[in-house]
Amino acid sequence: MKITLDVNGNLHEINIDPGDYLLEVLRDLGYKSVRRSCHSASCGTCTVLVGGKPVLSCSTFAASVDGQRIETVEGLSQGEKLHPIQEAILEEGGAQCGYCIPGIVLTGEALLRENPDPSDEDIKLALNGNICRCTGYESQNRAIKKAAEVMRGDDYE
Amino acid sequence: MLSNVKEYFRPKTVEEAFEIMEADREHSIFLSGGTIVALMESSRIERIIDLKSLRFDSVSIKEDEIVVGATTTVEAFRKDPLVRKEFGDFFYDSFSLVGSWQIRNMATIGGSIAPKLGWSDVSACLLAAGAGLIVYGSDGYRKMLLSDYFALPAGEKPLITHIIIKKDGWISAFEKFSKTTFDIATVNVALSIRPERGRIKAARVVCGSRPQYPMRFDTIESALEELEINDLMPSIVRSLVFDNFTGGSNMLASFEYRKHLASVMAQKAAEKIKEMVI
Repeated sequence: MKITLDVNGNLHEINIDPGDYLLEVLRDLGYKSVRRSCHSASCGTCTVLVGGKPVLSCSTFAASVDGQRIETVEGLSQGEKLHPIQEAILEEGGAQCGYCIPGIVLTGEALLRENPDPSDEDIKLALNGNICRCTGYESQNRAIKKAAEVMRGDDYE
Repeated sequence: MLSNVKEYFRPKTVEEAFEIMEADREHSIFLSGGTIVALMESSRIERIIDLKSLRFDSVSIKEDEIVVGATTTVEAFRKDPLVRKEFGDFFYDSFSLVGSWQIRNMATIGGSIAPKLGWSDVSACLLAAGAGLIVYGSDGYRKMLLSDYFALPAGEKPLITHIIIKKDGWISAFEKFSKTTFDIATVNVALSIRPERGRIKAARVVCGSRPQYPMRFDTIESALEELEINDLMPSIVRSLVFDNFTGGSNMLASFEYRKHLASVMAQKAAEKIKEMVI
């Protein structure tokens, strides 16, 4: 079947099998930041934004998001310039092996769009579905708070 | 993983969705949020019928009822201004314990009820809220209580189109125990009471993940009627749940463990309600 995906503003008209998962389709299109891990809706590494909301691409049928806007980490940075959440994760030591980071960055981005000044509790609740086995989450929580400050600032576009 | 899907349907009406299902029920499945269907291991399913195209994804008020479209996501429902206005923090807080943010953005209210999952926090809370359903089946549309839906024979699978919750002055609280923060419940307990002059006029006591589907405990509910809402009330609720709990054992917990856990959680829920009433 034929579907259209708007990924980070790029339109893709593609043929898929009706049972194809969004995760595989995005990776086949070259969006390798979308990570395959548990494939059981348990870890959050495959998180993408659909209509601005974080969802798990490993358990989303590609056909079900036909025509919708999808965002991956590739769409956040502007060339060499990293997104404030990516920058803050680097500064706070929030990435070690890095496998979970695209999912965490996207979940953080969705949170900050909805709530530009989140509390620690808000961040914990939002990141509940993103498992990181390296850092213990503290540095990533700090990074999201730091990015929130930057993004609330007058200089941020 | 569904390894043998050959067709994907996006019906525009409930009738069309039901007809497509009836044409080959053995090889077909309704898809709502997808969190259950996408994770099924099956080569039998060949036809997916996506219900999101029906656009039953809004919450509205109709006289003294809140009417919730079945494909409303759990997250959209818990954050809906109408739901918060009419039911305070009950659904907002309770449903924050359902899965992760990602899962709540995918899972729908109807899709959380339809598979009759034992551990469904959504079903437990809605049972305690006295929710009803509008369903479509071979006889057309009909209304039914959620508790009656759970009692339907296995072969009878009407399509849930809406969930109805009455705004009738009940006060509710929910407790869940799970092994990790977004794991399914080992046990969940939802408690609702209708207070009148400092006493319990009526009660709904629901335990889920027993591990069978959530159910109300009539014996406990009858015993709670006319009980004074005071400092002793929560411990009485605890004793009643301990004495009357029914369920079983599975890999998550034994029956005995569940029974103890459910009684403690019922006490906690009753404490919350007491604080709200007094």
